[in-house]
Amino acid sequence: MSVLSRPWNRLTVGGKILLPLLALVVLLTVLLMVGWLTGLIPALIGLGATVITDNIDILRFVAAVTAILLFTVPTAFVIIFMEMKFIAFINLRVGPNRTGPWGTLSSVFHGFKVLAKEDFTPTGADTPVFTLAPVVTYLAAVLGLLVIPFAPGLVGLDMNIGLLYFFAVSGLSVVGLMMGGWSSYNKYSLIGGLRAAAQAISYELPLLLAPVGVVMLAGTLSLNQIVINQAGWFWDWYVFQQPLAFLVFFIAATAEGNRTPFDLTEADSEIVAGFATEYSGMRFGFFFFAEYVNVFILSALTVILFLGGWNAPIDPAPILQFLNVTINPALDPGSLGMGLLFVLGLGVPLLILLLALPVWMLKSDWSFPKSLVVAFILFNVIGAGLAGVWLFLSFEVVVGLVWFTIKTFTLAFVFVWMRGTLPRVRIDQLMGWAWKWLVEIALLNIFLTAGAILLLQELAR
Amino acid sequence: MTDPTIIRSLDDPDIWVETPATIYDAVPPYPPRTEREAEFYDLRDGEMLLNLGPQHPSTHGVLRVVLKIDGEKVVDLDPVLGYLHRGVEKICENGDWHHAISNCDPLEYVASMFSEAMPVMVAEKLLDLPVPRRAEYIRVLCWELNRISSHALYMGWQALDLGGLTPILYSFIERDEIVEMLAAITGQRLLFNYLRIGGVNGDLNHDFLSRLGDWMSRAGAQLEASTRLLNENEIFVRRMSGLGVVDRETALRTCLSGPVLRATGVPYDVRRAHPYSVYPELDFDIPTRTEGDSYARYLLHIDEVRESIRIIDQALHEMPDGPIMAKIPRLIRIPPARAWVAIESPRGQYGCYGMSDGSDQPFRLRIHDPSFFNLQAMTDMLPGNLIADSMAIMASLDPIMGGIDK
Repeated sequence: MSVLSRPWNRLTVGGKILLPLLALVVLLTVLLMVGWLTGLIPALIGLGATVITDNIDILRFVAAVTAILLFTVPTAFVIIFMEMKFIAFINLRVGPNRTGPWGTLSSVFHGFKVLAKEDFTPTGADTPVFTLAPVVTYLAAVLGLLVIPFAPGLVGLDMNIGLLYFFAVSGLSVVGLMMGGWSSYNKYSLIGGLRAAAQAISYELPLLLAPVGVVMLAGTLSLNQIVINQAGWFWDWYVFQQPLAFLVFFIAATAEGNRTPFDLTEADSEIVAGFATEYSGMRFGFFFFAEYVNVFILSALTVILFLGGWNAPIDPAPILQFLNVTINPALDPGSLGMGLLFVLGLGVPLLILLLALPVWMLKSDWSFPKSLVVAFILFNVIGAGLAGVWLFLSFEVVVGLVWFTIKTFTLAFVFVWMRGTLPRVRIDQLMGWAWKWLVEIALLNIFLTAGAILLLQELAR
Repeated sequence: MTDPTIIRSLDDPDIWVETPATIYDAVPPYPPRTEREAEFYDLRDGEMLLNLGPQHPSTHGVLRVVLKIDGEKVVDLDPVLGYLHRGVEKICENGDWHHAISNCDPLEYVASMFSEAMPVMVAEKLLDLPVPRRAEYIRVLCWELNRISSHALYMGWQALDLGGLTPILYSFIERDEIVEMLAAITGQRLLFNYLRIGGVNGDLNHDFLSRLGDWMSRAGAQLEASTRLLNENEIFVRRMSGLGVVDRETALRTCLSGPVLRATGVPYDVRRAHPYSVYPELDFDIPTRTEGDSYARYLLHIDEVRESIRIIDQALHEMPDGPIMAKIPRLIRIPPARAWVAIESPRGQYGCYGMSDGSDQPFRLRIHDPSFFNLQAMTDMLPGNLIADSMAIMASLDPIMGGIDK
């Protein structure tokens, strides 16, 4: 144990992390043994069970927030990788291709890189504000995810004012950008922060006004209920009833997420990196993460409001009824009893052997153990595929999640596509576009929707 | 205005302990030397100095511009040159005439076929040396290829400074093909050092010709493909048109040349106005536009690339056989004389005034770089525009700092 034989200040960073963890594990083991032997832990478990059942709502909330917080990291990684690869494709480059298959791990390594970099505070910076700014931006992005319904029943918190909550929380991110811009003691940062403020205030208006038509049609602010209202075929989605609102919302969302062609806050050819000029290490990482989480949640919100959320574009029920087919693959493993044990004990090795034989025969220069390994991998792939199909057919949560993910990442791809294709607009054009066009169109859309609803009611009477 | 006493010498050990924040301001560390400087560095209410460069991503090398801004609007500017000054003209006086060729190479480093032609053509004019026709055709071929590669780079830069990520990579495909082509005959990708007094350094080879033929077969289509992304783009057109307008009279008065001048409607091109080499024998047009704004300059570059492709086509077809070097001694002693030559570089009239005192070294080589004069127009164009537009205007003037700072 070279870790234990060194003084604390001679340890590497890894050692400094490893040693407390080791001590913690030893301590917990000892405590667990002592607790179990004295009968303390069984008593505590009994007590804990009642505490959990009494406070299930609070625990559910805490679990949801934690899950959402953890969910942002892989999401940001996927979108960052998507951006790197697709922009490379547009640019006729190869893009990341070294770490992992097709470079898929490169964004993970980017994450480790920003963690390992120096955490630098410039001279003259307002240190507390400078430190807090990325946290505010990141949390604003993350908290917006809490009300996003991913699939039926899979929503952090189903608020009846979900949409309002979303806009209230995601509007806070600009506070973080302004804090970063102001506290960095850098003129480029300052200009970036002020641009962020001006842009956010201008584009919040169309972003808020555009979904009003949807809310009037749905009669609720709950995002969950808005999605449920769009169930059925794809022409039931609100995008076909609210095309104007969809356009306005998507443009405003692009500006709100500070994405090209509205990425004036971090315009690298004009103001270096805007508010993020003086940031380095994980503080910059938080800004970076927040941007990509923002891309995800703005795509997700567009999908929820206009593109049917988790609903599939086709409604399979009438088709199955017409064909007179019933699909009920829900399989209860408990009903198999000893049969399950038999299948796991004998079926799996037999199947692997059966898969290995043709591999071994076709690849004549391979040894049989090598074919066995390949067969094992094949078995796992096939098994995972079958399990996926079973999950997809059995649980509507999985179906909803798949459709939601496909739609959201398609929209995220559109954001990436625009970044690869379009140049940046100017600040006065940006403002003019918001105040002269988007707000007016959004207001017009509200009156048109209201008129149409009244007209339909009159006709129905 | 900052208190000048707060700026301390770097020798002062205290400065490393507690750096006064004002040292990062754009204020010069001395009392104003001229009236203009005093006026510029005197801030009114709501104004701020913004130090742009020399390490800014879009000032094209090491140009430093101190902008006086009011919010996002540029009120005034103070360009600070000299960050790339190497004393090329003086260095040229210390080597012989052949050394001047490679010393002049990095002046216009994205199109160095033009800057290296300067000492060559001055020496030829001073000696009254006839250059073999094949060498002249090879020179024209290389010049036009290099003009296309330089213009391609400009078109990418222009888009990059407006926030478009993709066009510069498309441009670099074009540029890389040409640069590889030139590397096949010159051995270099950037600073070719290919022209010689009395000819060129090596004949065309198979590698070059096969690459050129391959490229020529699809050059026009490739140009269309890579410019289609931007030319009709609404955002691009709205940002570029009416931006950085310079009128005909101002352009002539401030000695602008090249695409910046031709975009104002003046059909001045040294290749036609003061013909040199074999350009009188070639058939090509001088494209002009009348708007004089950044968008006109951008479109003009594309038109010029088309004309260059035409010239290359003709030069290839009319290329005569024969020697590529005139018979000259190794050590050239030029009798005392003075001469002025000018050629049309991608950025305008590239001139050189050479003096010889009878020795084997140039007595004086005065390089007239068009970027320097074109950059002057920035002082009139920028005030009143926004910060973002100042980048676009700067890019549309297409300055190369190597030639400006010399």
